[in-house]
Amino acid sequence: MISRHGTPEHLPVRPFVALVALAVSVATFLWAGTAFAQASAAWPRVSPITIVINQSPWFGGFSKVVEAYEKETGNKVTLDVNPFAGSGEKQRNSVRSKEGQFDILVMNSAWLAEFYHGGFLTPLNTIDPAFKLDPQVMSYDDTGYWDAARKSNNAKTGVVYGVPINGNIQVLYYRADLYEKAGLKVPQTWEELAANAKALNSPPNVYGMVQRGARSASDISYDWMPYLHSHNGAIFKDEKAGDFTVTINSPEARQALDVYVNLAKTVGPPNPGSYGQAQVIQALLTGKAAHATPVIAAWPQLDDATKSAVVGKVNVAVLPHGPGGRTTPTLGHFIGGIPNNIPKDRQVAALAFLRWFQSYDAQVKYAQTGQPPIRSDVYAAAFMKTPEYRWSPAVLASLPNAKMMYTVPEGPQIASVLELRLNQAVLGEKTTADALNTAAAEIHDLMQKAGYKTARLPPLK
Amino acid sequence: MRGTADRASAKAADRWRFYTLAPALAVYLLLALLPIVNLATMSVHDIHWQQGAARWTLVGMKHYAELPRDVLVRAGLANTALFALIAVTAEMLIGFALALFVSRIAVGRVLYRTIFLLPILLPGIVIGAIWKLMYNPDFGVINQLLHLLGLPGFDWLGSGSLAFLSVIIVDVWHWTPFVFLLLLAGLETLPQDIHEAAMLDGASAWQELRDVTIPMMVPILVMTLAFRLIVSFKVFDEVYLLTGGGPGTATEVLSFTIYRRFFTEDRMGYGSAISVIALFLLTLVIVLFMGMARRRMHAH
Repeated sequence: MISRHGTPEHLPVRPFVALVALAVSVATFLWAGTAFAQASAAWPRVSPITIVINQSPWFGGFSKVVEAYEKETGNKVTLDVNPFAGSGEKQRNSVRSKEGQFDILVMNSAWLAEFYHGGFLTPLNTIDPAFKLDPQVMSYDDTGYWDAARKSNNAKTGVVYGVPINGNIQVLYYRADLYEKAGLKVPQTWEELAANAKALNSPPNVYGMVQRGARSASDISYDWMPYLHSHNGAIFKDEKAGDFTVTINSPEARQALDVYVNLAKTVGPPNPGSYGQAQVIQALLTGKAAHATPVIAAWPQLDDATKSAVVGKVNVAVLPHGPGGRTTPTLGHFIGGIPNNIPKDRQVAALAFLRWFQSYDAQVKYAQTGQPPIRSDVYAAAFMKTPEYRWSPAVLASLPNAKMMYTVPEGPQIASVLELRLNQAVLGEKTTADALNTAAAEIHDLMQKAGYKTARLPPLK
Repeated sequence: MRGTADRASAKAADRWRFYTLAPALAVYLLLALLPIVNLATMSVHDIHWQQGAARWTLVGMKHYAELPRDVLVRAGLANTALFALIAVTAEMLIGFALALFVSRIAVGRVLYRTIFLLPILLPGIVIGAIWKLMYNPDFGVINQLLHLLGLPGFDWLGSGSLAFLSVIIVDVWHWTPFVFLLLLAGLETLPQDIHEAAMLDGASAWQELRDVTIPMMVPILVMTLAFRLIVSFKVFDEVYLLTGGGPGTATEVLSFTIYRRFFTEDRMGYGSAISVIALFLLTLVIVLFMGMARRRMHAH
């Protein structure tokens, strides 16, 4: 016999269900209360914050970590996601207004100097005098610190202004399967790389080396920097010491550009002067590149079967170096900073997120999305030794040598000069010597106009 | 007496119209002039940010003196002029031909009009994405078609000699429908009896076009041409999306140079100086063109 509620009448179901429900509710309430109290004790409840960030290959990983923060602390975070250049422009507009729209600025190394020199950021110790970067957080050329008096990034003399958000640097991606088949060894020098690239060059199916030769806000200049630095060349004689003598047309720089142009012309795709970051990553994903040097943030796509034709076939190594030089990747990383022009409660809330983000647990979560963690101790975790994290030893080994492309607010102007002149060298519109001499004259001119103490080398013949 | 009263009444009405329109005119002038005045002021200053505040330093004509030596400004000016000349000429010719064709068919006119108008309905970003894919040297549909015909493919956007032409093709595809629409509207308003009279007089199709249709269409042709010239001098999105001004300076146009100098490099003073010069040159071109066109129209 069934009651009109659909329950067999002979079972005393209602009191039993009610009792179980009550017990479950009480247990849940107690558990939630305890958990919440524990979480609140570790991570205080603070005002909602907005983080301005760019859409990039590593954004997916960052957003998952933000979700974890919200779940763990109960705090609310809004992400304002933009294209790369748009993010920089939004940040610029926000810090220049009376009250800022954003609480955390995720600043790329390309516009970091502008924000430090412009005085738009708050020293994190003014929000909480006890705050410091965790000793396990890697230095990234001291870019989390700023010495306002000397106008330089310096951990010893400066104070902490930011927490690294993404440790993006260049590494050498190579086709491990082709290497094995051809019996090649991972190159240590650019010369060895050229030889390997020549051995694997089989156009139009596989190009020996695919580089960013295009002219944009930062394509070819960013890609060429490791060649320059690892040949012991530099844009300026000693930027950190304030010596802005332009050395971009040194014999070392010419050698670095000769290597770059030679690779592009002999083992690169047709029209290498039109390849930007997207085309380089596409060439890797489609199996058309035997070597390339994009940033490590591109990695997760390569082992993703829905995006890659070379799952499990690519490996990474530290970048090669020139004669007498050492591997020197360029930092393409991001620093999270807090602007001056927001109310105190939002600054406190923003710092709460940054403090959480640099914790070991948060960085483990970040690394588990396939992104390079900002803490060195996470690289020692057991899961980082598995094949899917085979990129991590190369990244860890590269980071101590990683360098900023420039540390002056005129950086985007310098990049603009280099983008055009280097692109012209790759296109064959200028010889390497002519391209570097022209770039040196233009950079010297702009630095002089900006009031720097500068000089330049005699032109290359 | 009656005439004097009418004239007085007309004058009063004119005055009334003038005064009632004056507030709108004032607002319009304020909105149009203020940004230009601001731009001109910025163009004679260096603007730097220190300790979170803007520091304006008067530099006089320094930025203007720098312009002739700026390789991007020079390339941008030359390419913009060439771009406007080639693209607008092609758009006017194709747009007029299409409008003539559609105006003379009786069946399917709405269908043709709808199809020809499609490109102008698409946002710039979609056009950029579509054409970037079509131009892709590896898997783009254009090269695949060429391969099917046994012809070699090209790097449409990566080759210095082809990139400029490729951008012009996209602009012509994008803007010809606009020209077509205006000219078709013009053709449809022409009095039919003049056409009929010309035919009765034994004029050939070419004579009718040359001696009847084109002269009557001159005011509309001039306005369409002027509008397209103005817009083509401001070309930005196609270059930004397809080539970024490269390879080298092959597709650098003035709007893109302004964007690069003003925003990417954060040189507000210098970027303003380029903008002021661009505004001046564009105004000059339009004034000269309109003067010439007015003289031609009076002659007709």
